[in-house]
Amino acid sequence: MSMEPFNRLVKLAARAFYDDVTIKGENQPKTGRGDNRGMAVIVLDALTRRQWVREEDLAKALKLHTKQLRRALRFFEEEKLVTREHRKESAKGAKIFNAAIAATGDGQQGTKEGDEKMKMHMHSYCCLDYAQIFDVVRYRMHRMKKKIKDELDSRNTIQEYICPNCARRYSAFDALQLVSMDDEYFHCENCNGELVAESDKLAAEEMGDGDDNARRRRREKLKDMLQKMEEQLKPLALQLARVKDLPAPEFGNLQAWEARAHAAAQAGGDSNAGDSSKNSQAQGYSGTPMPFLGETRVEVALSGVEAKEEIELDTKPTSMKVLPPWMIKQGMNLTKEQRGEAKPDVKVEQSSNSVDEKKSNVDKDDGTSLQDEYLKAYYAALVKRQEEQEASKKLQEEAELATDVSEAPFDRHVGMKSKREDDNDNVEWEEEAPSTGNSGEESYRLADLNVEADASDHDDGEDGIDWEEG
Amino acid sequence: MFFHITLERNMQLHPRHFGPHLRDKLVAKLMKDVEGTCSGRHGFVVAITGVEDIGKGLIREGTGFVTFPVKYQAVVFRPFKGEILEAVVTMVNKMGFFAEAGPVQIFVSNHLIPDDMEFQSGDVPNYTTSDGSVKIQKDSEVRLKIIGTRVDATEIFCIGTIKDDFLGVINDPGAAA
Repeated sequence: MSMEPFNRLVKLAARAFYDDVTIKGENQPKTGRGDNRGMAVIVLDALTRRQWVREEDLAKALKLHTKQLRRALRFFEEEKLVTREHRKESAKGAKIFNAAIAATGDGQQGTKEGDEKMKMHMHSYCCLDYAQIFDVVRYRMHRMKKKIKDELDSRNTIQEYICPNCARRYSAFDALQLVSMDDEYFHCENCNGELVAESDKLAAEEMGDGDDNARRRRREKLKDMLQKMEEQLKPLALQLARVKDLPAPEFGNLQAWEARAHAAAQAGGDSNAGDSSKNSQAQGYSGTPMPFLGETRVEVALSGVEAKEEIELDTKPTSMKVLPPWMIKQGMNLTKEQRGEAKPDVKVEQSSNSVDEKKSNVDKDDGTSLQDEYLKAYYAALVKRQEEQEASKKLQEEAELATDVSEAPFDRHVGMKSKREDDNDNVEWEEEAPSTGNSGEESYRLADLNVEADASDHDDGEDGIDWEEG
Repeated sequence: MFFHITLERNMQLHPRHFGPHLRDKLVAKLMKDVEGTCSGRHGFVVAITGVEDIGKGLIREGTGFVTFPVKYQAVVFRPFKGEILEAVVTMVNKMGFFAEAGPVQIFVSNHLIPDDMEFQSGDVPNYTTSDGSVKIQKDSEVRLKIIGTRVDATEIFCIGTIKDDFLGVINDPGAAA
């Protein structure tokens, strides 16, 4: 259960009082098909995780029919647990609402996009009303206790009488005037049948017999009931006590909430790290819904790149942490320390060199617009790559390793890491053989790598770009 | 509960009463008409204490009757829910007993009679405790609490209980010899 006190209260109350509520309508009374008792609890739980939510979205999330959900929500509205609002909106208005939800971080994105219909549909929204829930639950418990206590103690109930023949009901007031015949019993008006007193609804025993035991048994039954009720409702009562002094979460009117969510989104966008203008542009809560719609897709791409850039930037100033291999993504600037490899492995060397190259690229990009720089770099990389490929072919003649090694990073994709590892292993094996004959491993590699670094870097860059755009 | 209030009524007077004692005749007619009646709003009118004002008479068209608006003060009795009254038992039944507190009739069902009192039929039906110490029969005085009133246009009925503390028989009639 959630630890937030009000949500916990709602969950406890739902399980205590509403766990046998069916929301199937009257048209399908067959329990053989499986009625969904207890669905009400699910609905309430779902509402504790959201604030204002459109009913259609909730139905989709819970995999319920809209009508059934509506029935449940109508029931809860009558029980004063939920507030609902209905308003006519065009599809655009619905998008504003989705934006507001996204801003609160609930992650419920809108469904369709770009629909330009001007038709006004009736949308219904619902939200838990915590202050009222607190009162309602307390009142309910008070009434329950009062009913049992009344039955036990003084029983200030007005007697009702039923005729067994024609099932006509009389109250004690009627008995006074209408039905007092000198016959020791009350008789029905129509059929003259003897009226039977309808006794305690809770104790449910025949009132006719003036048996001492019967009355005592009834008292015992009521006492038991009271005790069981106290026991079973104890957690709920405790939660009520805890929540009593806290202010209830207040979401206000639907419009007020939406306005607040928009404002919060704007404030959050501006204070983000990195390019503030870019961020606000990307998030696009400029006030009109249309720009926001248009930029949704762009936002995703940009933020992906941004995130990577930020990661790269972040890794620069901080001390290098050892990153586990599954965290290494394409285009991440990582030093060999971050790769967690002490030995100057081939790929590490290459990547470290590529880091230098890329860092220079990154520094340049910071100053100017990102896209322009990328385009420039891309074309430059293409050109260079072609050159390098020619050069690498030459290198191939010198040593097979070079090409193998250079190819390995060319094929570097996120999902194909295992292959690379194998290749590298092979490469390593092969490498060690001739390297023993060389003066120094590192010098040999450096010589190799200096030539290939550009190529690999560009390929990295190329691969990186491909990957991003993919 | 008893109240002393001002009421108003339009009295119609036949021309034969016109004369020097018009006013007295009017008041007499008023008393005859109103005392002992019950209105749902004010309760039972017990007694008229005085006539405050008699307005100008209006002769009706067609007939010779004259209508006087009369303001008068009266003592009224109106029972309320939760009120505690003393009443006199009039009838004892298997389903409970009927009692009268002045003009109002109160019914106490056996539901609201303490559990230790059982009904005993016979030529004098009564409710009595197991040890016979307390007996409710016709003409016993009983203190009861009203738990519900039903007010029609011209009648008031009450339901009462003797199950609470300090309720029950006050005074046993001469039957407990």
